[in-house]
Order: sequence, then structure tokens, then C-alpha cells
Amino acid sequence: MADITLLEAVTQALAYELEQDKDVVVFGEDVGKNGGVFRATEGLQARFGATRVFDSPLAESMIAGLAVGMSLQGLKPVAEFQFMGFIYPAMNQIVTHAARMRNRTRGRLHCPLVFRAPFGGGIRAPEHHSESTEALFAHIPGLQVVIPSSPKRAYGLLLAAIRNPDPVIFLEPKRIYRLVKQPVEDNGEALPLGKCFTLHQGEDVTLVSWGASIYETLLAAKELESEGVSCEVIDVATIKPLDIDTILTSVEKTGRCVIVHEGAKTCGVGAEISAMIMENAMADLMAPVQRVTGYDTVMPYFQLEKHYIPSVHRIKTSVLSIME
Amino acid sequence: MSKVVAHFEILYTQLLNSEGELCGPLPKFADDQATLIELYRQMVRVRLFDKKAIALQRTGKMGTYAPINGQEAISTAIGHAMLPEDVFIPYYRDYAAQFQRGVKMSEILSYWGGDERGSQYACNSEDLPICVPIASQCLHAAGVAFAFKHRQQARVAVVCIGDGGTSEGDFYEAINVAGVWKLPVVFVVNNNRWAISVNLDQQTAAKTIAQKAIAAGFEGRQVDGNDILATRQIIGEAIEKARRGEGPTLIEALTYRLSDHTTADDATRYQPKEEVTDASSKEPIRRFRHFLHQQQIWDETKEKKLLESCTEEVQQAVDEYLNKTPQPITSIFDYHYAELPDYFIEQRAIAVEEFNHG
Amino acid sequence: MEIFNLPDLGEGLPDAEIHEWFVKVGDVVQMDQPLVSMETAKAVVEVPCPQDGTIVQCYGNPGEVIKTGQPLVAFAESKTSSDKGTVVGKLEESTEMSEDNFVIGAPTAKSSRPKATPAIRLLARKLGCDLSTLKGSGEHGMITREDVQQAADKASKIPEGFEPLHGVRRTMLNHMVQSHRDVVPVTIFDEADIHHWTEKTDITVRLIRAIVDATAIEPALNAWFDTPHAARRLFNQVHLGLAMDSADGLFVPVIHDVTNHSDNELRKKINAMKQAVQSRTIPSDQLKGATITLSNFGKFSGRYASPIIVPPMVAILAVGRLYDAAVSKNGVIQSHPLLPLSLSFDHRAVTGGEATRFLGAVMASLEK
Repeated sequence: MADITLLEAVTQALAYELEQDKDVVVFGEDVGKNGGVFRATEGLQARFGATRVFDSPLAESMIAGLAVGMSLQGLKPVAEFQFMGFIYPAMNQIVTHAARMRNRTRGRLHCPLVFRAPFGGGIRAPEHHSESTEALFAHIPGLQVVIPSSPKRAYGLLLAAIRNPDPVIFLEPKRIYRLVKQPVEDNGEALPLGKCFTLHQGEDVTLVSWGASIYETLLAAKELESEGVSCEVIDVATIKPLDIDTILTSVEKTGRCVIVHEGAKTCGVGAEISAMIMENAMADLMAPVQRVTGYDTVMPYFQLEKHYIPSVHRIKTSVLSIME
Repeated sequence: MSKVVAHFEILYTQLLNSEGELCGPLPKFADDQATLIELYRQMVRVRLFDKKAIALQRTGKMGTYAPINGQEAISTAIGHAMLPEDVFIPYYRDYAAQFQRGVKMSEILSYWGGDERGSQYACNSEDLPICVPIASQCLHAAGVAFAFKHRQQARVAVVCIGDGGTSEGDFYEAINVAGVWKLPVVFVVNNNRWAISVNLDQQTAAKTIAQKAIAAGFEGRQVDGNDILATRQIIGEAIEKARRGEGPTLIEALTYRLSDHTTADDATRYQPKEEVTDASSKEPIRRFRHFLHQQQIWDETKEKKLLESCTEEVQQAVDEYLNKTPQPITSIFDYHYAELPDYFIEQRAIAVEEFNHG
Repeated sequence: MEIFNLPDLGEGLPDAEIHEWFVKVGDVVQMDQPLVSMETAKAVVEVPCPQDGTIVQCYGNPGEVIKTGQPLVAFAESKTSSDKGTVVGKLEESTEMSEDNFVIGAPTAKSSRPKATPAIRLLARKLGCDLSTLKGSGEHGMITREDVQQAADKASKIPEGFEPLHGVRRTMLNHMVQSHRDVVPVTIFDEADIHHWTEKTDITVRLIRAIVDATAIEPALNAWFDTPHAARRLFNQVHLGLAMDSADGLFVPVIHDVTNHSDNELRKKINAMKQAVQSRTIPSDQLKGATITLSNFGKFSGRYASPIIVPPMVAILAVGRLYDAAVSKNGVIQSHPLLPLSLSFDHRAVTGGEATRFLGAVMASLEK
């Protein structure tokens, strides 16, 4: 069992599901011969042929609308948007059709599709290539939003997403695509959607994050540990449907919570988690829930982007500010 | 040095002129009297439904409704030409096709009457529901057609769109992919000359909408959309061409919108009176009735009987619609996901409480 | 190999002349190290090495003119300059392996939050009820108003002088509450003139037969009604519930399939059941499954009553105290014994017509 990156875990999951479910098709711009601009679909067309893995013309609304139509006929399309910044032309198809087809036909029709996109900043890319707007999708009824943060979880969650009978927006944090390698067994075992993962157990404060920010959060936790603050680190993973119970269980124990996300602060997913904690665990809280997030600005061009992304220092400062 | 590297032709077809006189060879299906009568019946039936639906809206018994008056031939032809195993992707003026394909009149009334069950289609078809976001349905049709081709099924997707819709990005993206992937899909454009109040001349500089297909690399044809014979023939040919694997076709059916855009619109504000009068004289049912009389297939007695039976059918549908028990409040939750998610449970219970309280 | 082209050295200069090379083929160079000096129309400009690497080719000798954008020097292909695997930017790579022992969900599952809407939480607070101790009986396990009310009632203190009801009395209470909540009762009153009867007539058995006769004519009263589904179940057989009083309260043992019993068998069964009720030995299966009930209540007093229908049944016939009345027959007044009959029926499931026909049939059977 080789050690693989998050990116390779995505490829591995796609290959597994293409093999075992003949209704799965993978398409998007440059995913065929080129294997995707990040090589997420590397080798898949060669292995499964151009009827299963293929390039589409350059049209994002078309990619989404095609996937809707395909899935209505029982195919399981896994469509790639080259970057989250280019998913916006597809918003109409996603919101007015994919998300509500089951509801508006009272269950007669539904869309078992997955929309994948690399998201987030930190790779010195040009403008528009570093979006973290998962909150937009989390807000839409009928959608599910999943964000893996490790090779193992990317593999298990993508399998679950493909097997799910309803639409999933699967956002891959590109900053950590190749950062870390792990042994990931290609056994086809899915991880559950709608469940948080506890990455590190602790007593004094609950750190909640997802995507690439998990790494800064884990680093901060390590440093805080040596400074006498014991941190529990939770990877949300499924933004919607949110497993608030795991977070509440942790907050009940620690009494303090800091949420870390790269996306902008106002109406970011952290606001939802914070409200849920306040509504349900008021008695357990010893301090207000904190959020360490991207600023309410457009992601700066890459020269300054590392000052936008929540840093280990900002996370630590926030934690220490609520410890007495 | 310059030379012509591409040029195109668009064929226009008319078999029955606006006076109801034959001006072309009768297609094969017209040999069968029963077929001709059936086509006539479907047009009359949907017109009576249409009138009743408008009346329901005007008397507060139904919400906004999109009428089909004057455009009956197009969806009648579509519904008649498609096979049961094909899939229809409508916009919102396709009732005759939907009725022929198993959708109940009361379901269409329910849809406009604010009840999602109107798209549930008790006949359990694979057809898509009415589509309001303009032109987005074209991409769904391409996706459905892709599935047919992918599975090597001899099935065809037929999608309908208005003239205004062909200005949308989704329309162009759909015909483009249909062309480059040679998908088994037929695009039928109901060119009734109006996109709410915007006239065709303000909508596009293209001389015909049919020629937009040329840009996508496949055939575009124009047909007199008020001539049921030509419309039925051309659409039928395109469907079978797709079924044979020869790729998509765009058919522009020329007609006129003899009604408001929807019941929330007032066309008298912008449709010139003389134009409407002129278009009324060319409408599809009148000319076909004239033709059937000429062929001695139809008479006043048959007409009276047909009107009676259609009126009764429509009334039954209206009664069914008006007497339908409203959905429980829980129905707003129960169809979002295959399984009710945990976070829905409390919200759902609150909705029930509030409903019972109010 | 990687070719480095002559850059535009001064805003739109078309070319430049090689002045002096500072490197030669085979040299290993470092970024920014002087590469070559070029003479332009404006000046002599030093061009630094654009990267680390090994020089494999120099494109010209001093004095030769190189056009802007044309090859100037070539470096050997570096091993690391293969597929970057991204069309924009640069992906950080690490050979770091990482331990990733994660737990799905919380490490120690705790009991979930009480499942209650805000309105229920409010009610619970008002009634001093701890939601976390309750099991929800509503859909999806939600705690209902009734759950809270019941818990509060249980928990609350009984007022001075009151004794809680138990056993049979409590059962009666529950039946009455449910009946009151669900049933829509109507009672019809009439009398049967039984002056034809012989002295030895077994009243109860004749009443039972009359009920059976009537259900043949109007089966709608021999039925069960299911409230949640608004559905009705008719029965071919008559399972008669016979109300019996005891020191402990009211019991309603059931004679299953009365038609299949002879009069003697019926009387035997009735007596046996009476005994069993008195001695509290009646088994529970003999108290279940009644499709219609007969209550002969008039032993002590009472002619007419509005007897309670116990769901899922839809009818009950109550018979009051037998009395001698002056009846008028063809203008002649005579004294006849009359049996008062009160038929209660659930108007959700039974129509007035069905009920009156039923009662008429009972009377006809009794007056035979």
C-alpha cells in the first residue's frame, strides 16, 4: 500500500468507483488526456476509455446542466469545475435544478451527482483561482457540501459522495493537494457523510476547522500543547449536513471554542456553527465562541495571500484570548 | 486572397397554407384519417384546457399561468411524434405534448396552482417537469441524450424553448455540446415572436433562429408552426434522424403568441392590434379544420361532439384539481433528500406546531 | 534543454549585439551570476543568469546581433522541471508522512440533546419538566406536548384528600378520555314491547340474538374505526362485548362469534364469565376483540342512557330497567312490559339511517 497524497487519493477513489459502478462517468475541462490541470484524473481515461472519462467543451453552465440531465437518467456523473472560481457560471443549474429536482417532483426525479472543484488559496495562482466560498453552497437547501482534509478522508468521503443519491459539492483544498502523504488502502470503504472527525483529543478548548486550515489548526494545537493548553481538534468535513452533535459534545467538555476557516468572515460557515453552539450549549460555554477567518475582502493577489489565510499565530492568539 | 469556406441554407417547410389549402405533398401519416382526426382533437383539447386555465386564474382559483393559445400545433406535433421511451424536456407552453405523454390536466393545474405534486406525474414518466429558468432545460436535454447515447439506447430527447430563450447562454452551450458530441436530441423552438414584450426583431439579429444550429455544426430547419402537417412531419423526421444516430436538429416553428405571456401580463400594451388580428386568421386549428372539412373527414356534428367531450374532460380535471386535499405541512421537508436529515427534524416539528396553531 | 531568450533590454529594443560572454558551455552557474553583456542602441547592458544550471549552448559570438526574443543561451534540463501538475501557481510538495488517527464523530458519544421544538422547551420550563429525562413519542422521536404534560402530571403533587385511580378504574378513565377525544356520539332512544315473551325468556340471550339479527341488516354498526387513517373495518362475525359490573368496576368480557353458539351455550358462557369477573380470574384474551357491546344496566335504576362507545368500536346498545307501561294500541290502553333501549353510535363511521334501521331491527327481533 503506497503512501499517497490527497490528490492521488481523489484519483484512487474515482478509479475505484469507475471500476465498480458502470453508471459513473467523469467529465469536465481537460480531465481526459491531460488528466486534469492538477492531475486529479490522471490515467483514468487511459484505463476506462473516453466513454467513461472525457473532456467537455469550455462551458461551466453546460457542465452542470449536462450532469443534471445525465443523473436524471440514472448515470452518476462526477463533473469537475477546474477551479472553484469558475463554478459561478454554473450557479443557476446547481441552485435551481440540481438542488431542487427531487423536491419539486416529489421524489419522482433526483440527481445523484457530484461536482468537484479545487478550492482555496495559497498556491500563488492568479486572481479568481483561490476562492473559498463554500458558504454559498451550504446555504442552499437540497445541496450537500463536503471538504476533505487528508488523503484518507478524501478517499473515503469522495466514495461516499459518489454513492450518495443526492447532489454533493466536493471541494478539494488545493493548497494541501500534495502537502502530505499517507497510506490509503484502496478497499472501497466510504467514510460517512454528515459526520465530523475528531483529529486530536484535548480538554481545554475545541478547535473546529476544515480543508487546508486543518493544518494550521493542528500546528497551533501542537504549539499550544507545549504552552499548557490542551486542544481538541475537530475536522468538520461535511459542511452540510453539519454534525453539530460532535462539536457540542466537545464543547460540553472544554467550554471553549475557536472556529478557523479560510473563507471570508461575514456569513461564513463559522457563523452558523457559532450560532448552533450558542443555541445549544450556552450553559457549557465559559467564553464566547471565536472565529479566525479570512478577512471580508477579496482574496488578495498571491503576493499577499499568505497574510490573508488564517495563520498559526492568529489561531493561537485567539485561543489564548479566551483562556483565563 | 479570400474565398468562401462555408455557407449555409435554411429550408422552410409549409404543407398547409394559412387558408388551410394543401401546398405540398401530403406526408405518409396523413394517409390515415384517424391520425388526422387525432391531431385535430389534441389541438382542440389543449385549447379548451387553456381557456379554462386562464378562467381559473382570473377567478382566483389558480396562480399565474402561461397560456398556449395560437401555438397548439407545436406541442401537439411533438407529443404525437415522440415514442413512449423517448424523454420530453418542456419549457412552459408544451401542454399538448405533456398530455399526450401521460401528464394529467389536473397535474398542470396543480403546478400553476402552487402544488408540487403537479410535477410528480402519476404516470411515473421520465419526462422533465415544466422549466421556468429560461433555456436551462436545453442542457438537461443534452444530458439525457448523452445518457441514451452512452448506454446505446435508441431513444431521443426532445426539448422545447421559446424564441427569447435562444438568446441565453445555456441554449448556446447546449446546442454546442449536442453538435460536437452528436447527441440524440431535437431542439424545437416555439418562435411565437414575443419574449414577454420584447419582439423577435429586438431579440436577435439572426435572420432565422434555425441558423443558430449552423454555428453548432448541425442542421437547422424552419417550419410553419401553425401548420400541423408540416410541423408533425419535420419534427418526426428529426426525431427519427436522432434515433438513427445521425445527431441533433434544431427546428424553428414559426407561430404567433395569441395571448399574454402569462396571466400576469397584458399583451395589449405592446402587441399591435392589426398584427394580432392578422395572426388570428392564420392560427393552427382554424386552418386544419378547414382542411379536414375539405377532405370530408370532419363536419359540424363531429365538431360539436368533440367540443362537448373535451369540455367535459377539462371540467373533470378542474374538479379533480379543486377537490385535491392540500399537502400536509410536512411535505415541504420530506422530499429534499433520499432520507430525512437529522437537522430537519426539529424544524419540521416546529412547522407542524405552527401549522396546527394557525 | 531549457532555452533562455534575449529579453527586451530597454522598452522596445528590437535587438542587441553580444559584447562579452562571462560563461562558456559546460559551466555550472548560479542565478543572478553575470551571464553576458549586450550592447544595445542605448548602452552596454549586463544580463544576469535567470536560473541555476549548466550551460549547454551559447547562441552566438561577440559581435553577433541577436534579435529580442530569440535564443541567447541554453541550460541543461533540470530533473525537477518535469510536469508541475498545475496550470497555475505552484503546489507545495512535502515528503512528510503524517500520522492521521482520526475518530469518526466524538470520541465519547454522549446522549444527544433533547429533541424538542422551542415551543415544547417553553412548555417544559413552565411546567418544571426536565426534557433530558423524557423519551419523545412524536415523529422521529420528538418530544410532544403530551409527553411533557404527562411527565409534569406524574411529577406534580397530588392535592390534599385526593387518591389516584388505579387498576380497572384507571382503565375506565383512559377509555373515557379517548372516547371523548375521538368519538362523535349520538344516541337514539326507543322501547321494545315484550308482552309476547314467556316468563322463562332469557333476556340477555334474546338481546344478543336481536343484535345479531340487526347486524345482518345493518353491518355498519358491527365495525371498527381507525382514527389516524379515517378507515373502517366491517366484520362478518359478531364478537359481543357484554358489560358486567363488579366490586372493582366495569368489565366487558367478549363472546367471540356469538352466532355459532346455541342459546344454552350462550347462557353457560355468560354465567361462566360472570363468575370469572366476580372472582377476578377472567383472562385478558376474553376481554379483547369486541366488535359491538351490550350493556344491560337497568338492574337498579335508569331507563335510558347515553352509553359511551369505546374505540375502535362504533356502537353500543344499552338496555334499561324493564317496566310496565300504558301503551295505546288501536285506541285501547293496555299495560305492557317495555324494555327501554338506548343505542349510541359513532357518527364518524355510522350514518343516522344505518343506526335507526339497526335499532328498528333490534326491536323487531325482540318483539317477535
